[in-house]
Amino acid sequence: MKKIALVALLALSLLLPAFLAMAQDDLKEIKSEAFGKLQRPAVAFDHNAHNEKAQIEDCLVCHHSGENGVQDKTTGSEGTPCSECHKVKPTDKKATSLMRAYHKQCIACHTEKKKGPLACGECHVRKK
Amino acid sequence: MHEIYNLVTGPLAWLAWGIFIVGSIYRLAIMYILAKKKDAPSLAYMSWGFSLRSIINWLIPFNALGWRRNPLMTVATFAFHICLVVAPIFLLAHVALWDQFFGITYPVLDEKVTDIMTMIVVAACLIFAARRIFQKEVRYVSGFQDWLILVIAVLPFATGLLAYYQLGNYQVMIVLHILSGEIMLAAIPFTRLSHMLFSVFTRSYMGSEFGGVRRVKDW
Amino acid sequence: MGIKDRLIEDVGLREGVKRLTEDKIEQVVQTVLKGETGARLAAYSEICMRCGLCSEACHFYLSHDGDPSYSPVGKVQQTMAVLLKKKGRVSPDFIYGMAQIAYTECNLCRRCVHFCPVGIDTGYIMSTVRRICHKLGVTPQYIQDTAHSHSATFNQMWVKEDEWTDSLQWQEDEAREEFPGLRIPLDKEGADIYYSVIAPEPKFRTQLIYQAAAIMNAAGADWTMPSEPGWDNSDMCMFTGDFEMMGRLKRKHFESAQKLKVKRIVMGECGHAFRSVYDMGNRWVAWKMYPVPVIHSIEFFWELMKQGKIKLAKKYPGPVTVHDPCNVVRGRGHHEKLRELVRFLVDGPIIETASNREHNICCTAGGGVINCGPPFKNVRLDGSKAKAEELRATGVKTIVAPCHNCHGGLEDTVHRYKLDMHIKFLGDIIYECMEKPS
Repeated sequence: MKKIALVALLALSLLLPAFLAMAQDDLKEIKSEAFGKLQRPAVAFDHNAHNEKAQIEDCLVCHHSGENGVQDKTTGSEGTPCSECHKVKPTDKKATSLMRAYHKQCIACHTEKKKGPLACGECHVRKK
Repeated sequence: MHEIYNLVTGPLAWLAWGIFIVGSIYRLAIMYILAKKKDAPSLAYMSWGFSLRSIINWLIPFNALGWRRNPLMTVATFAFHICLVVAPIFLLAHVALWDQFFGITYPVLDEKVTDIMTMIVVAACLIFAARRIFQKEVRYVSGFQDWLILVIAVLPFATGLLAYYQLGNYQVMIVLHILSGEIMLAAIPFTRLSHMLFSVFTRSYMGSEFGGVRRVKDW
Repeated sequence: MGIKDRLIEDVGLREGVKRLTEDKIEQVVQTVLKGETGARLAAYSEICMRCGLCSEACHFYLSHDGDPSYSPVGKVQQTMAVLLKKKGRVSPDFIYGMAQIAYTECNLCRRCVHFCPVGIDTGYIMSTVRRICHKLGVTPQYIQDTAHSHSATFNQMWVKEDEWTDSLQWQEDEAREEFPGLRIPLDKEGADIYYSVIAPEPKFRTQLIYQAAAIMNAAGADWTMPSEPGWDNSDMCMFTGDFEMMGRLKRKHFESAQKLKVKRIVMGECGHAFRSVYDMGNRWVAWKMYPVPVIHSIEFFWELMKQGKIKLAKKYPGPVTVHDPCNVVRGRGHHEKLRELVRFLVDGPIIETASNREHNICCTAGGGVINCGPPFKNVRLDGSKAKAEELRATGVKTIVAPCHNCHGGLEDTVHRYKLDMHIKFLGDIIYECMEKPS
C-alpha cells in the first residue's frame, strides 16, 4: 500500500509541471498571492488569447530564469511562480521586486512592439 | 496611444522637470543677484533665528492673527498645501513609475489616503474659486493670473481622480493628467506659483525685520 | 468702487498733477523702480496671491464696511500694481488718485503684516508709491508744507532759531515758579541725556516741554537740549517720500547730538520720529542702526520708574485703556514696558481694547495722514470708526497714548464718535501725579 502511494506521489510530482502548463490555458488574470491585499485591481490576462494575438510561441519570451540579478533567457521557468524568485520586498538591493518584474515584463515588451497597454489603468481596470 | 503616451512620459516629462528645476534655479539666482545689488538695506537685517522663528510660527494653523481671523481659509489652505505636496510624492502609482523607469522605490501611502488627499486638493480649489467669485475683497483683486494658476493647480488633481476612478475615456484622461502635471511643474518658476520659491525668503525677511529691528512678533 | 469715486480736492495734488505728462510720469516711475527698488518689490508683486486675507487687518477697510478698495491689497491693486503692469505709463489723473490713496488712506501702520502668510510688507509698497509721488511733485499741500519747513529750517513748523531758544527759556522761566532751581540746560557738553522733541512742541504744545523739564528736574537727570538746528527729531519728509531730505534730517539730528558728546538721545512721546531713526532714515543713510543710542520716552520713564527716580504723590485714577502707537509698539516692541509703567502710575486696571499690543488698530492719524490736513480730515475720521468702536467697548474715560500723532488723531476720533474720553500722554500723568515742592 505504501509503495503504491509512493509511486503515485512520484508520478504526480513528475506530472506537476504538465498540470501547471495546462493551467495556463485557464489563466484569465495575473494575481499573485504573494502581494497579499491588492491596492489595484488584478490585471486581466488571457494567456492563450494574448499569445495568439501577439504571436508568441516560445515560452521563453516571458518565462525566463536567472540568478543573482542576471536574467537567463535560455532556460525556461514555466510553472514556477514569478514570486519564487522576485520577492515582493527583496532583501538584495540589486534584485528586481515582484511589482517591478511584472511592470517591466509587460510594459517593456509593449513599448518595444508598440502594441498593447502602457498606462496604469489600461491593465489595472476597475470592475464597473 | 503609444506615440502620445511615450511623448508625455518621455520627452515632455524631461522638458517639464528641466524647466522646473533649471527655471527655478535661474529665477532664484537672478533674484539673489538683484537683492544683493539693490536691497542691501533690507538684506543687512536677515537673521537665521528670526527667519526660522517666523516660518515656524506661520506654519502653525491658527497661530498668526491672520489665520485666526480667517478660519475657513486657514483650514482650506493648510489642507490644500499639505495634500498638494504629499499626495503626488507618495502616491502608489507615481512611485510605481519611479520604480518602473528608474528602479527607485520608497514608501507609499495607502491609496485610500492619497485618494482622499486628492479630493481635498480639489475641494480646496473649489473653496478658493468660490472666494474669488463671492467674497468681494477677493473678487476685487482677482485677475487672469489668479484664475490661471488655480486652473493649473486643480487640473492634475481633477484629472488624476478621474483617471484613478477610470471615469470617462481612460486613455485621454491619463494623458491629460500627465500633461497637466507637467504644465504645473513648468509653470512654477514663471507664474505666481513661484511663491513656492520666493515666499520662504519674503517670510524670512519679514521675520528678521520684525524680530531684529522691531522686536515684536510678525504673526 | 475705488479711488475715482472719492477724489478730494487738494491744491498740492491738483497743481502737481497739472505739471505732468505721461512721458514724464513714465520716466520718473522707471527711475524709482529701476534705481531704488529691487528684489523685495519684485518678489512682493509677483507672489501676492491676491487671497485678500490682509483686508481684515486694515482699519480703513473695517471702517468702510468691507469696501474692498480700502483693503491693503486693494490699495496696492489701484497703485503699484498698475504702475508695474503699465511700466509707469499712466495718466496724470491716475497719479492724483494714487497719491490720495498712498498719503491719506494708508497709515503705514503695518498691521497687515500680521495677516499675510507670505510676508508681504504693504507699508513698504505704499512708501514706495509715496516716493514716486514725491518725485513727481504730487503731494498733499499741508504735509508738503512741513517737508518744505524741514528743508528750510531743519524743523517741521518753521520755528526760527531764536524762537526755539526763546520757547525753551520761556518754559524754563514758567517752570521755575513751580520748581525753584529748575533748568533747561542748553548745549551742555557730555550730558547723559540729549532730549529731543518734535517742532509742534515749541510751536503749540509747549506744556510738553514744561512737563519734560519738570520730570528731568525731579529725577535729577544730567540732561541737555541743543540750541541749534537738529533739535527737531520729527521727519515728515520720510512720509512725503522726500528721502534725500529724510537723510539730511537724520544726519543733522545725530551730528547735533555727537557735537555735544552726549551719552544718548531721549525722544519725547513721538512715534514717527522714532520710526525714522531705527527703521527708515537710518537705512537711507546706510546705517544699520542709529549711531548714537536713542531711547523713546516710554523706555526712559520706565527706567526712571525701575530706578525709583519717579516719586508719586498720588496715583492717577483709573481704569484706563492703553493705545499702542504702531511706531513704538509694532515698530519697537515697547508694549509691555508701556503697560508696566501705566500700572505703576494708575490706580485701577488697564482695560485693553480688543486689538492690543502689536496687533493694535491704528489711530488713523499716523504715517503722515493727519499732516495732510483739513481737506482729508473727514476721510481720516471715517477711517477711524473701527478704532472708535474698540475704544468705546472698553467703557473707560482715559486713553493713555504715548505718541503725538495718535494723540491728535484720537482727540478727533473721540470728538467725532462722541466717546466721552480724554487722552493722556505719559508725561501728562507723571507730571500730574509726581511729588512737587509745596
